[in-house]
Amino acid sequence: MMEQSSIDLWKPVKVVKLKIYRYNPKKDFSPKWKEYEIEVSRGTTILDALIRIKEEVDPSLSFRYSCGQALCGSCAMMVNGRQMLVCRTRVLEAAHNRDFVELRPLDNFPVIRDLAGDFTSFFEKHRAIKPWIIRRDFEELDNPTGEYKQTIEEYARYYQFTDCLKCGACYSACPTVATDHEYLGPQALAQAYRYMVDSRDDGLDERIAILDSDHGCWRCHFAASCSDVCPKYVDPAQGIQLLKKLIVRRKFGLKPHRPSDALPSKIGEVKRR
Amino acid sequence: MRESTKMLLHYIAGVLIVVTGLIHLLANNDPGIGKLITGNVYLYLTNMAIFLAALLYHALNGVRVILIELVPDMCWTKLIGWAILLIGIATYIVGIQVLLMALGLV
Repeated sequence: MMEQSSIDLWKPVKVVKLKIYRYNPKKDFSPKWKEYEIEVSRGTTILDALIRIKEEVDPSLSFRYSCGQALCGSCAMMVNGRQMLVCRTRVLEAAHNRDFVELRPLDNFPVIRDLAGDFTSFFEKHRAIKPWIIRRDFEELDNPTGEYKQTIEEYARYYQFTDCLKCGACYSACPTVATDHEYLGPQALAQAYRYMVDSRDDGLDERIAILDSDHGCWRCHFAASCSDVCPKYVDPAQGIQLLKKLIVRRKFGLKPHRPSDALPSKIGEVKRR
Repeated sequence: MRESTKMLLHYIAGVLIVVTGLIHLLANNDPGIGKLITGNVYLYLTNMAIFLAALLYHALNGVRVILIELVPDMCWTKLIGWAILLIGIATYIVGIQVLLMALGLV
């Protein structure tokens, strides 16, 4: 029975048209669309289809991918106008009730070539918020005497934000990033929150100086499109609102955080995983 | 001034617009409460002064936010901030002057 369903999954069932954005900024005056017809089975992902096009039809097609199992975040692109990881989106699913599947690079990223965007600015912003644990106990760091233990409540404060793949889907969907190129963006801000509420971190004030700026967390207008498109179901919009709260509480000298205030929405899934 | 201070003032100004605007509406339309407020010219003036300040701050800060998002360059961000502040102060002075004249205080 298992063998039968496995065969069904890879049996070609339909010919699907892929409409792909083609653009080489070094050579082309303007972008153009090119269509490819490809035979797909139930299990064919868009990444499988792209690899097949590159290997068998058009070797000049450029796109970025790595793990092929929704763990690295390299293959995020616009599928029918929505940010998705193509390694886990099946062609038939994307072609449902449509004549073709439209693929283009992520919005808000300059195009390097075809479907590959330039992530330089995105990663610069990520680095700007110091995405690591900042400690002040240098003596302990040099000569460790034990572990930095956390309770489940302390872990739950930032748990969901650790799932971030840095795929750029949230950054691409953000309407503020579309106009304000200096804006840190949902990914960096949610990651800042992740480190600021970590009980092992001592870098709260250091990060507030970066985030509480003209193009920091206050530029978020809570469209929440970042949370809508996240392929790992992280909620960056929630993180940014909690970050604003954290900054205001700090401003008035209040205790920065209480675990019960910020239990992430995914906490119910902790046991299931 | 940090951005959090500016935005906190923005939210406080929003609440003040609702409160002082409501008082202003009642003063002009409700005979009972209206007499209480308009009867005392200084009470009316204070309410209007707060209303105007809150309205100007809220509106102009909104314009500043839109502009710094559209022109994200750091030099422009500072310039926009100062320009909006000066426009706000000038408008407030003119507004208060008009109010004082309307109330017969100058």
